[in-house]
Amino acid sequence: MSGYSFKMAFVALLLISGALKSSAQGLKFLIPDNAIVQYAGSIGYFSVGAGYDLFKNKRGILDLNYGYVPASKGGELNIVTAKFAYRTYEVQLKDWGKFYPFNPGFFLSYTFHPELSYRFNRNRYSSDYYRWSEALRPHLSIATELELNGDKFLKGSGIRAVSLYTEFNTNDYYLINYFQNTSELTLADIFQLGIGLRLKF
Amino acid sequence: MRIFIVPALVAMMGLLSCNNFEYSPNQVFDKNSYRDINAGNLKRLGDGKGDDTVRFVLSGDTQRSRDETVRFTKKVNDMPGIDFVVIAGDITEFGVLQEMEWISRSLSKLNVPYVAVIGNHDLTSRGRDAFINMFGPLNYSFLYGGVKFVCHDTNSREHKFDGNTPDIPWLKAEMQPQAGVSNFVGISHVPPNSLDFDEKLVKGYTAAFAETPGFLASLHAHTHNYDLFYPDDSGIPYLTTSSMGNEEFILATIINHKISFERIQF
Repeated sequence: MSGYSFKMAFVALLLISGALKSSAQGLKFLIPDNAIVQYAGSIGYFSVGAGYDLFKNKRGILDLNYGYVPASKGGELNIVTAKFAYRTYEVQLKDWGKFYPFNPGFFLSYTFHPELSYRFNRNRYSSDYYRWSEALRPHLSIATELELNGDKFLKGSGIRAVSLYTEFNTNDYYLINYFQNTSELTLADIFQLGIGLRLKF
Repeated sequence: MRIFIVPALVAMMGLLSCNNFEYSPNQVFDKNSYRDINAGNLKRLGDGKGDDTVRFVLSGDTQRSRDETVRFTKKVNDMPGIDFVVIAGDITEFGVLQEMEWISRSLSKLNVPYVAVIGNHDLTSRGRDAFINMFGPLNYSFLYGGVKFVCHDTNSREHKFDGNTPDIPWLKAEMQPQAGVSNFVGISHVPPNSLDFDEKLVKGYTAAFAETPGFLASLHAHTHNYDLFYPDDSGIPYLTTSSMGNEEFILATIINHKISFERIQF
């Protein structure tokens, strides 16, 4: 799939989901549970997103983000990301919040830029020449999240909770470099940081 | 419950201090990036006036080989009389900024200045712009000890065999007779006997070197194997060094307008 058709497919998906949201009651699950803003974290200088709570215990996290890196920060890049993570531990903090110390996850980012292709041109390169995708990047992540109870701090605002998270991630490129150079690359070299704010409705 | 909080906070603080805020693996610079390494190192190198023995190390393909790069820098630092080091392309595997930063961090421990030349892997993703920001132009030259080193981009495949890579008119202009220059050396990543080199340009390329009085050798990397060949009857040697990962480099010495090579394992 070329970068262009991927872009079109994504736009179509957005339009369909928007149309469904306005029509059918039964599709209420499409309405996001959270709104997200994130700084850095390999998915944009800033990114904004919609989050969904997954599973009965609501410890699953599905986030869809759009991020932007301006030229002045090493871009210009437009990035869409789908993240999945799981809050493995939940620590109740009296009546004012919750702490999630360890949320491991996985995310896929797709970067739109004329020089980044989904796949290398097979007319110019044999299939074993460059094996990776420049635009589609798989990442592993570990997040720590502190959630403040909305009833306590933001009474009457309609916001259930506000959480602040830090998220470390690494990607296939960095892991390959790391595992082939274990004595000279450290985990601190390959893990990249982002911080974010999540509003829960 | 509280047992989680303290260690997690400590770990978080420790990691936060690393200051690894990355906007994208594809960003072409960040606030910690090295800038203009080639120009800075060449300034440090000077013009070598009065140096009648020009001795330099040729290596390449540091991609994914940082352990070996560290050993390489130690080996080169232990060798006396070396003027500079050339990394002839493929600094990176995936053309990303971080890889350039990691390798540069290791190479910055060299006692002598080094310069880098663009390789085909460095031209994937946004490596071209990352390379220009961190190292400098793709085609450049410098003068040392009366020898002009003409470093250039021969990664024809990554430029879609556009007929301008290598840029032969630029090469010819660089190799015009010049006061204070008695010899020329060409340095690039892809050798002209590779399928990745634009076959329509091979003849013009080798002819440009053959026509240049005082042209000593054309140096390359890319294949990861040592190779010495003579593509025409000019007598000019074309040499390809083994890769960093194969733990071998070339020590080149120019004395009295003659170049000689030594293969060195480390």
